[in-house]
Amino acid sequence: MKRLVLHTACLGIILMLAAVAAFGGGFQINENGARAMAQGGAFAARASDASAIYFNPAGLAFQTQGEIYLGTTLIMPDVSFYGPVSDANDPAIKNESKMVSQTFTPINGYITYPINQDLHVGVGVMNPYGLGTEWDPNWVGKYITTKVDLQSFYYTPTVAYKFGDKFSLGAGLDIVTGTVKLQQAINVVNQDTRLVIDMTTKTALGFNVGAQYKIDPQWSLGLSYRSQVKVDASGSATFSPQFTNPAINVVNDDASASIKLPATGFAGVAYKVNPKLELEADYQYIGWSSYKELDINFKNDPTKDVTSVKDYKDTYMIRVGGEYTMDEWQFRAGYLYDHTPVATAYVDPLLPDANRNGVNLGLGYHITKQLRADVAYMFLRFNQRQVTGSAINFNGTYNSQANLVGIDLGYTF
Amino acid sequence: MKVTTQIFAGLIVIIALVVSGCTQSAPSGPSAGLGSVTVTQYVSIGNSLTAGYQSNGLYQSAQIYSYPNLISQQLVAAGANLKTFNQPIWPDPGNPDPATGKAARLQLISWNGPVIGPAGEAVTAGAPPTAGTLAQPYSNLGIPGAILYDFLDTADFTAKAAARANGFFPAILRSAVFGNSIYAQAKNLNPDIVTFWLGNNDVLGYATSGGTAKNMVGTDGPTPSALFAQMYTTSVGALHASLPSAKILVANIPDVKAVPFFTTMGPEIAASIPAGVYLRYQKHGNSGPAFDSTRLTEANAPLITLKAAAYAGLLGHPTGQWYRDVAASFNPPVPVSAVIGAGIDTTMPFGFHPQNPIPDALVLDADEQATAAQSTSDFNATIASVAAAAGAAVVDMNGFFNSVKASGVNVDGEIFTTEFISGGLFSLDGVHPSSKGYGIVANQYIKTMNSAFGMHVPYVNINSLPGIPIPLGRIAAKRYIATIPYSAWKSFDALWNGGF
Repeated sequence: MKRLVLHTACLGIILMLAAVAAFGGGFQINENGARAMAQGGAFAARASDASAIYFNPAGLAFQTQGEIYLGTTLIMPDVSFYGPVSDANDPAIKNESKMVSQTFTPINGYITYPINQDLHVGVGVMNPYGLGTEWDPNWVGKYITTKVDLQSFYYTPTVAYKFGDKFSLGAGLDIVTGTVKLQQAINVVNQDTRLVIDMTTKTALGFNVGAQYKIDPQWSLGLSYRSQVKVDASGSATFSPQFTNPAINVVNDDASASIKLPATGFAGVAYKVNPKLELEADYQYIGWSSYKELDINFKNDPTKDVTSVKDYKDTYMIRVGGEYTMDEWQFRAGYLYDHTPVATAYVDPLLPDANRNGVNLGLGYHITKQLRADVAYMFLRFNQRQVTGSAINFNGTYNSQANLVGIDLGYTF
Repeated sequence: MKVTTQIFAGLIVIIALVVSGCTQSAPSGPSAGLGSVTVTQYVSIGNSLTAGYQSNGLYQSAQIYSYPNLISQQLVAAGANLKTFNQPIWPDPGNPDPATGKAARLQLISWNGPVIGPAGEAVTAGAPPTAGTLAQPYSNLGIPGAILYDFLDTADFTAKAAARANGFFPAILRSAVFGNSIYAQAKNLNPDIVTFWLGNNDVLGYATSGGTAKNMVGTDGPTPSALFAQMYTTSVGALHASLPSAKILVANIPDVKAVPFFTTMGPEIAASIPAGVYLRYQKHGNSGPAFDSTRLTEANAPLITLKAAAYAGLLGHPTGQWYRDVAASFNPPVPVSAVIGAGIDTTMPFGFHPQNPIPDALVLDADEQATAAQSTSDFNATIASVAAAAGAAVVDMNGFFNSVKASGVNVDGEIFTTEFISGGLFSLDGVHPSSKGYGIVANQYIKTMNSAFGMHVPYVNINSLPGIPIPLGRIAAKRYIATIPYSAWKSFDALWNGGF
């Protein structure tokens, strides 16, 4: 058994090293630590390992040791589109287009260090926003999208301070970079050309703050907030083939766009049933109303500018989970509900979102007193999303689900 | 250790159960099918729109995307045991222009302009190669130039071709052996589904001529509404009576103002009129210099037809080019003096001077527009009431094209508008749809078919059809004002203006 765990841990390290940063499954990625993930992501009221840097920086202040915590989450979405249909009697409701299978591997890594018993510092790196969708180049929605690949990197130097035995505050800086790639087909001159937009962002800044309050040895509360970050992306727009005769102008250009990564916050309450069992419930707020539209601007030929209305709404997630400790093992389980920010008319194949339910299971194992391995599994089921009255007249039904596997290694010192 | 192993194994079992129990099923809804309708024979009746006429020609690579041919393929996809859907196919480059003997279809001649016109292609077949071998009527009985009257008309096809300067009648109907009228040939095929789209030319002939063409009874204006109503009632009534169990779909008549042939040039010319200058155009019925004035920006501005594209660059110049072109187009050519009205002085600035106005034939003025609109409205009222009486379903092409004109139509990510060329919906002649346009038309029929008859026929995938062979689409969202030589319009006019 020990050999199996060690092999699993080794595999985890290999995967981490191989992790090219490609992300997805949804625009927001909260799976930034396998321990929290296994508990439905309900962790802000405890934030009792280095992933506090993501969930609630104030949690660091109650930790007594430094920690290195590193891992990745394998995200394997499975999406089908049925349509497009004109109405409920359209037999195209049986026409299935499957999204190209991909595995995304967003990373999370943290290092924390207690300067003294009240002051704790740390730095983290994670990919809290990412999106990856790809469809066959000749699928029925090729003039809408064939591929989207959006990545973000957050580098987060963080400080936390404990005021007395019960209360702590934390704050961090979010240094954000990212890339945006979009592909679609365009019909020109009786044939298709492929448009590839490939942009990188300038470094942008945001911040995060958190508070934690231990009411008594059993109850604790946590509150955290991460600000909205506006990223400005610029790069190339490439057409293959280009059309260079005098009457039309389909030539490569420079492209730019601004995207607001939304603010988010956690409010959690945790209860320690006994020394072995901890339970927590969290409410997460996501300020998706910042994402009104996606505007791609072409530098030399503004007539090609693309505006795609998104009109997302502010939304929330409900997270519950727990952890049971038995000797060197920890058994975890959780559940989450993710309420979609996308109104039906704006659901499109770039991000076919829906309300989601996730069930989580996981294990932690202390290989040594200092070295811990966490694995988590999540099955994420999207409610079937029937789109009618689509703003881009692309009606149909999306069926989506995803399997996620989180692996992290922690080393305390 | 043993306990933890068991717990670990138990968790894996739970995960497996959760995943296997959560696989999504496909959405519920109908599969492709014909409902309770039996389809073994489909016949389409109509004019150039039904024939698959495109860019002023009838040629194989366009005809395979005629809306009836696309519908027939979708019926088969829905499970119809459809006998072969026979079309009178002209191998590329298509039918000849009677004046030149070369292919009539319009092509992009030059990017510089751009210039559109016939490319002087040698015709490979003067008539459909199957005309002599097919032992039954064609299933697609769309005849370019046909007006409603022609449906029941039993006149000899060849004599009619001569009288109407339209060779499509004998080429498609061939011999009275197959039936002595369009109606008779359709009936002889004993179809169980029929599409009927006639009546467009009863108003389009008037409108495309700038209000100068005579109608079938030899008067000014479209086919008289009362006569149209009588003929439509008789025609659809006869069809219904002889095919009582057939499903019949009739399409109504789009407003002429929804097609780019009429809507393209006005805004273009308006932008080029110098400040303080008015455009002068000839009023119908006045052969001489009597004129009206317009800035083309007022509410009831005249519509300038696409034929004026070749002359827009001559505005303000002393020219009689139009009259020379008209004179030269006769066979044999006539002197310019025979076509020029009294009092016209071509040494005056063309279009700006009262004595050299824009000719009547290029303009559909407010009165003429009102006449065309009234006829369209009358015809469509007739179509609706006759269809109801005959149990036929109405395909609302008028409503559809009006909505496209108002806001475009987004089909699976590609936006189509009624703009000339860049809109993607219409072919190079500005009146007939492109291949994708015909696919969109076919889907209007299928939509009506499905809702009226409880069928579940799948739609045509517009993305799989070719566009028109020139730039289009939102990426090239600019106006293309193509210069089309006058001579290219000769066979276009023959579609509806011959012989009356």
